[in-house]
Amino acid sequence: MDPDGLAKAFVEHYYSTFDTNRGGLGSLYQDASMLTFEGQKIQGSQNIVTKLTTLPFQQCQHSISTVDCQPSGPAGGMLVFVSGNLQLAGEQHSLKFSQMFHLMPTPQGSFYVLNDIFRLNYA
Amino acid sequence: MEEQVEVVSKAFVEHYYSLFDNDRSSLSSLYHPTSMLTFEGQKIVGVDEISAKLRDLPFDKCQHHISTVDSQPSSSAGIVVFVSGSLQLPEEEHHLRFSQMFHLVPSPAGSFFVQNDIFRLNYG
Repeated sequence: MDPDGLAKAFVEHYYSTFDTNRGGLGSLYQDASMLTFEGQKIQGSQNIVTKLTTLPFQQCQHSISTVDCQPSGPAGGMLVFVSGNLQLAGEQHSLKFSQMFHLMPTPQGSFYVLNDIFRLNYA
Repeated sequence: MEEQVEVVSKAFVEHYYSLFDNDRSSLSSLYHPTSMLTFEGQKIVGVDEISAKLRDLPFDKCQHHISTVDSQPSSSAGIVVFVSGSLQLPEEEHHLRFSQMFHLVPSPAGSFFVQNDIFRLNYG
C-alpha cells in the first residue's frame, strides 16, 4: 500500500476504534509506546489504554479534516498528522484537535503507534 | 533522557521560530537534502526546495507566538516535537492559529536537523 493509503487506513481504523470500542485501541500500542495527552505523559500500552478509557466522557465522535503523512526514515516509520473535530455527547459545540502519530512497522507486517501526541486547539 | 529531550526540543523551537521571524533564509541550516516539508498539504522535499518555499511565502514579516510544545524521544535517537501557537502577519488584525510537528534526527556534527516537518493552519 502506498504511504498515503496506509496513513488514511490507519486514521480511519484508529478513530473508528476510539469512537466505538475504546478498549480495543490497546492492540495499536506496545510497551515502548508513548502518549502525551494535553501535556500529560503516559508510557506503555496498558497505561495508555487506561488513560483513554477513563477520559471524562462516554461517547464521542471524531470528524477528520486533514491527514498529512511522511516516511520518517530508514527504519520504515511513518509520521501522520491529523486535524479534526471531536463531538462529545451532550455538548453543543465540538472541540477542535490536532494529533500526531509516529507509526513503526511490526515483524508481522503491520504498524504500531510508537509516539502519539494529542492537543485540543483552543480558539 | 526525558529531560534531555525536553531541553533539546525547547531550544530547537525557540531557535526555529526566531530564525523564521528574523532571518528566514537561515532556516536552510536546519534541513538536509533528505528533509521533507508538508506545508498546508503541499509536499516539498530537500533543503533547497524547502528554503525556496519558505522564502517565497506571501509575506515579508511575521511573528510566531508559541502556546504549547510537546516532545517525545523516538526511534533511532530521533525526537518528535509538536507545537501549537499563533502567527501574526503585519497589517492583519487577527492572528492565524497553527499546529506544526517536527521529527528531529541527530546530525553527524552532534546537533539535530529537521528530517520531517508538517505545518497546518488551524481554522476556527
